[in-house]
Amino acid sequence: MRGVLGHFKELDSAVEAITELKAARLGALTVFTPTPRHELEAVVAAPPSPVRLYLLIGGLAGCVFGYWIAIWASNYWPLVVGGKAFGSWIPYTIFGFEVFVLIGALSTVAGLFIHSRIPRLTMMVGYDPRFSHGHYGIWVECAPERAASAEAVLRKHGAVEVRGER
Amino acid sequence: MAAIAYEPRRPNIASANVQLPAVRDYEQVDNEITSTLRPTKAWFLMLIISIGCLGLGVGAFLYQLHQGLGVAGYNPPVMWGVYIITFVFWVGIGHAGTLISAILYLFRAGFRTTIYRCAEAMTVFAVMTAGLFPIIHLGRPWKFFWLIPYPNWRLLWPQFKSPLVWDVFAISTYLTISTTFLFVGLIPDIAVLRDRETNPLRKKILAFLSFGWRNTEREWRHFARAYLFLAAVSTPLVLSVHSVVSFDFAMALTPGWHTTIFPPYFVAGAIFSGVGMVFTIIIPIRKYFRLQHFVTLNHLDAAAKLALTTSLIVGCAYLIEFFIAWYGGVKAEQDFFWNRVFGQWWWAAWIMLTCNMILPLSLFSQKLRRNPTWLWILSIFINIGMWFERFVIVVPSLSHEFEPWMWTTYAPTWVDYSILIGSFGWFFMWFLLFVRQFPVIAISETKEIVPPRVRHAHAHTPEDAEDFEPQTGRAH
Repeated sequence: MRGVLGHFKELDSAVEAITELKAARLGALTVFTPTPRHELEAVVAAPPSPVRLYLLIGGLAGCVFGYWIAIWASNYWPLVVGGKAFGSWIPYTIFGFEVFVLIGALSTVAGLFIHSRIPRLTMMVGYDPRFSHGHYGIWVECAPERAASAEAVLRKHGAVEVRGER
Repeated sequence: MAAIAYEPRRPNIASANVQLPAVRDYEQVDNEITSTLRPTKAWFLMLIISIGCLGLGVGAFLYQLHQGLGVAGYNPPVMWGVYIITFVFWVGIGHAGTLISAILYLFRAGFRTTIYRCAEAMTVFAVMTAGLFPIIHLGRPWKFFWLIPYPNWRLLWPQFKSPLVWDVFAISTYLTISTTFLFVGLIPDIAVLRDRETNPLRKKILAFLSFGWRNTEREWRHFARAYLFLAAVSTPLVLSVHSVVSFDFAMALTPGWHTTIFPPYFVAGAIFSGVGMVFTIIIPIRKYFRLQHFVTLNHLDAAAKLALTTSLIVGCAYLIEFFIAWYGGVKAEQDFFWNRVFGQWWWAAWIMLTCNMILPLSLFSQKLRRNPTWLWILSIFINIGMWFERFVIVVPSLSHEFEPWMWTTYAPTWVDYSILIGSFGWFFMWFLLFVRQFPVIAISETKEIVPPRVRHAHAHTPEDAEDFEPQTGRAH
């Protein structure tokens, strides 16, 4: 993996650089930002996150399991009390709900990890500690012959530092 | 100059309508919030006091293990006492964290931004504390895992119709989700600490805990959605947990307990007590670490309104309980409520009413809402009042049931009091360790309400102005 990394101190400079880099199609872009910004979200125009599906699937599975374990255990050890049903679904809604939340939320976190590609044991190329503090960064993954063009675009829009990495 | 391509859309993250005018840039946010991580003499002193209190509680518990539960002040039929009272108290404290971090997040309440981390940590440690008490209350505490459904060798399962099993599910789910919520929110902040750290060992530990977070737009996009959905599922969870705790009482045919008002009454009381504890913790932190420009008077004012609202709901519930007793026409219930307020337990009931109903009315005054000293003093009264609320719920009912021959009294022993003090030591020990290791104010979310650095002061077009806040660069 090789490319060019540009640092920006200003948000609007980074936004403008991304716009031009996308138009020029110089390579795949990775944008770094110390905090989520809608300006960047809009210009990157990535598809919506699918983590909601993890919640839905995990939650439904958890809900079914919560009801099932309570009903199955009640039928396995039937306690005959005043002709009442063994599997009483009204109180078992508590188990259905709690396990829905438990598995649904944990699945959501799993979705976050899978799609964000974390845990990541190495920071790889194209990262700088300043990105977590206040700088914006653009990593352009491109072939060496396009690096000069990418660097020119980054510098044109006010990158305070541009460096090639591999 | 090209304008920022801004597309108005609903924000993924809570909008911050409570501004931080004294915070200029991201560097200031990093420097001042991470300044809380340096150990000080006062921190060590408080940690030693906390561990001392914990030691007292552990000693008393070991004594109880050796001697049996009889050393606690149980007096049949009052077989629930300080342990169950303190259990409900700490579960209640644990409610404000998820309320502030999840429910107020969904409502886009900006004042949560700089206080939610503290409240979330408080929640986790409070639920950890609460979870100890049902175990301490057991005659054979080493058998506590019998309440957890697992395939054992005789295929014995817990009684799923028992409110105690409901509690196990509700509390363990709440603890897991609160911890997850806290940790997920911490990941970007741990990355900030990682990138600032110079000690190689600490840097490695922080790199491990941050999961290699790199602040990419892709990570933030999934993070924002995941956080939103975590908040969405945590919101009904907050409401359900204390409802389930209230079922421990409401399912029993005991005067003062068997009432349908308990779930909302318990939930409102839990939020009220949790907000009280947030004040108890956050006000000294903001003063000691000089974070008044992060946790501003506007933040405290807004949180005080939340305390006032929940106090009014709780007060209303107290009065409705009396109304139900009178209107229901059940003699035992009427006698019980009279005994609660004017009889045997009048002192506990009046501590409760004074601390939870009367003193919080002072928050109708804006001047007092914006007075941190008063808020802190009031929060101590709220903590005391809410502990006594649980005392008033538990003890008078069990000591004044239907049959006069069952009427008795209850007096906690030194073992009860020591374990109660130990619970505070346990809670504050964890909290102090947390304060030393992680930022007590969310760094990344605070940065969202600080104006980003821009090259062109008018980087957006006039047409966008209606949807764009120049102060923050965010959508309305």
